[in-house]
Amino acid sequence: MQRLRAGAGKTELRESGDTAAVIDASFEVAEGEIFVVMGLSGSGKSTLLRTLNGLLPPTAGSVHYEGRDLTALDAAELRHVRAHGISMVFQHFALFPHRTVVDNAAYGLEVQGVPRPERQERAEEALRLTGLEGWEQSWPDELSGGMQQRVGLARALATDADVLLMDEAFSALDPLIRREMQEQLLELQRTLRKTIVFITHDPHEAVRIGDRIAVMRDGRIVQNGSVEDLLLRPADDYVASFMADVDRGAAFADRRPAAGVKAHA
Amino acid sequence: MPRIPLGDWADNVVSFLRDHFSGLFDVVSSIVSGMYDGVDAVLTGPQPLLLAGILAVLALWLRGPLAAVLAFAGFALIDSVQQWHQAMDTLSLVLVATVVTLVVALPLGVWAARNRTVSSVLRPALDLMQTMPAFVYLIPGIFFFGVGVVPGIIACIVFALAPGVRMTELGIRQVDAELVEAAEAFGTPPARTLLRVQLPLALPTIMAGVNQVIMLGLSMVVVAGMVGSGGLGQSVFTAISQVDIGLGFEGGVSVVILAMYLDRMTGALGGRVTAVGRRAAAALPQRAGRRVLAYRPQASLAVVGVVALALVAGGMNVFAGSGTNEATVPAKDDVGKGRSIDMGYIPWDEGVATTFLWQEILKERGFDPKVTQYDVGALYTGMSTGKIDFETDSWLPTTHASYWAKYRDSLEDLGSWYGPTSLELTVPSYVKDVNSLADLKGKSGEFKGRIIGIEPGAGEMKLLNDTVLAKYGLKGQYQVVAGSTAGMLAQLDRSIKAKEPVVVTLWSPHWAYDTHSLKKLKDPLNAWGSGDGVHTLAHKGFSAKEPKVAAWLKGFHLTDKQLTSLEAAVHKAGQGHEQDGVHAWLKQNPGIVDKLAPVGS
Repeated sequence: MQRLRAGAGKTELRESGDTAAVIDASFEVAEGEIFVVMGLSGSGKSTLLRTLNGLLPPTAGSVHYEGRDLTALDAAELRHVRAHGISMVFQHFALFPHRTVVDNAAYGLEVQGVPRPERQERAEEALRLTGLEGWEQSWPDELSGGMQQRVGLARALATDADVLLMDEAFSALDPLIRREMQEQLLELQRTLRKTIVFITHDPHEAVRIGDRIAVMRDGRIVQNGSVEDLLLRPADDYVASFMADVDRGAAFADRRPAAGVKAHA
Repeated sequence: MPRIPLGDWADNVVSFLRDHFSGLFDVVSSIVSGMYDGVDAVLTGPQPLLLAGILAVLALWLRGPLAAVLAFAGFALIDSVQQWHQAMDTLSLVLVATVVTLVVALPLGVWAARNRTVSSVLRPALDLMQTMPAFVYLIPGIFFFGVGVVPGIIACIVFALAPGVRMTELGIRQVDAELVEAAEAFGTPPARTLLRVQLPLALPTIMAGVNQVIMLGLSMVVVAGMVGSGGLGQSVFTAISQVDIGLGFEGGVSVVILAMYLDRMTGALGGRVTAVGRRAAAALPQRAGRRVLAYRPQASLAVVGVVALALVAGGMNVFAGSGTNEATVPAKDDVGKGRSIDMGYIPWDEGVATTFLWQEILKERGFDPKVTQYDVGALYTGMSTGKIDFETDSWLPTTHASYWAKYRDSLEDLGSWYGPTSLELTVPSYVKDVNSLADLKGKSGEFKGRIIGIEPGAGEMKLLNDTVLAKYGLKGQYQVVAGSTAGMLAQLDRSIKAKEPVVVTLWSPHWAYDTHSLKKLKDPLNAWGSGDGVHTLAHKGFSAKEPKVAAWLKGFHLTDKQLTSLEAAVHKAGQGHEQDGVHAWLKQNPGIVDKLAPVGS
């Protein structure tokens, strides 16, 4: 860390045998916003996401959630936060193959200790929100990729956590399905108003769903701002080239409904 | 290169463990043998065909009608070749060994999966356990656990532990890391992640491990038979050591039937008990016409069937139990009052004959004598620990000298009942140019440089290698082929059929001298030493515990004629029916029981 503070780069550090995934990434996420972290693979965005719920404790730095420093919590307290406050959606869905769809959706509630009838009801409600009504008793491997990720989303929503961490949640899906899922997420967000940290490597996805976007490179956030900032005032050439092939017209057109909601809030 | 005293260290460790941890070993021994007795009582209790029915219902539940029919036919075959009791003993042994193995292996596997250091420490230890030849630890095992079923079970456990641990570790490591991360991300405590996510998903691999544990355990039963663990292992071991090809095959086929049943059932169990397995089974397309074969009863139905048959079995036992009654011993002859005496024997004809003779005599005197066949090393070790009370076939002072020297402090010699015997190298009488040991020199080409020997542990082999070859200058010219008595006799038979020159290790008395025309090689230098007497040896303290029996054994003597007629009678009755041979012999020799075991004195 000391060498990093002194300004050593990632490559320089790797030569000495260590790997630093995230070096300098300070940001705040406002309640009810979709905060997108964008970067190429290896830029440290997934690692960054996992420090937010303590799956990977940072060697330095802190994470504040509801006025508490998560890095200072003990293991049991941290588990309580994960069970109740921060849930997660995974790139490859991470559904439990030995549980039915509804049991997957109810998983977080089961960990919370919610009694069976209630968790069944809440899981079914979450599945209904994600459009999976009627699939409750199916098994994960009977569903298409898009539907599986809806189960993953339902599992995260069912716990009533305020914060959703989405790790390349739609990257493994076909482009058409991906677009559909993005729209559904925005649709849900209009009513649920979750605080979402969304990881992606796709600038189109970032501008489509993000209220604010942070661009990461080699473990550092190089720019953190609104879609307009990134498109119109890129901090450096790297950001500019990243955003180069984003269709500006469509990007701004897409923003309007979300921005409208924001205006109302 | 300096000699590293590795063997001495091992010897010291074994002595240390025996001296300081005997209490612990006794506890382990009584737990394991208690489990075995319980399982064995359940399995040997019911009528064979009823139990076969129960096992067939299990097969029906797990694999369908075809498997059920085959299972029933297989077990009926075991019953028909009169290996049922042995098969159930073996099944009990394997089941107990499997349960103990899993109780140890599962936590170790889980631990190894979660901790790299544990994994890397365990790996060489498991390799060692799996590849170390079983006999290396089987004989020390007798020091700790005594002869009988316990060291057999321990050997199975040692052998089968490795796949149990490895497959558990592998199964858990194979679980998708993202699933474990997902469980953690939802705040699952580690223990619950293990129980609700990792173990269920690892279960198919773990079940494959269970399957291997059972199969490896079963493959150890023949070796375990050599230390007196009974069952099919004993059948096979006895059969091969007496060149009884028929019995060997029957025992072997019974092992195969058991193995196939256990293999198929545990394989199918994985599919029935795991959610993932049930899913896969349900997804299989059902072809019309195959419906009948694909039928599987509900678990509840299978339970009903098993319970119904078990009740019938129990009921029949109750009624059968009241009918049978042990032949009572007249009060004046009842010296033993039902006390049990354990006799051991090695598969040498005079030993077999006299052991079963004494079993019969002790029965008539109210004892409860048990006879078990052992490998020679196991016999002496078992006797020194007191698990075996006495045996009748020690050739002293020469042949079994090394065993006597090692264990004399814990044994007592009840005297010789037959002698003198002699050891010799023997050639077929058509080998004209060799009449004495000295004639063998320079003729190694004729005999292909080989002397056909017997068991490497036999006293005669040691004497031959250490003394006889050197005295006649045969060292380097001949290689002594160690194997078994049965192998030696088979080779002798084969060579005589082909009229080839052959030289074998043999001894007198031996029935081979009657069957074939053979020539004992003269021993002008007296390298074999003077003849042995056949001694009865007992565990130290036996004559204090059973003074009457000890007195009988001390007075025991058989003439040449008595011994050969007894051997012939036992031989004629055949393997597994030695008792009938002894009965026939006793009928021809009325009053001999009172002479050998007088009650009045």
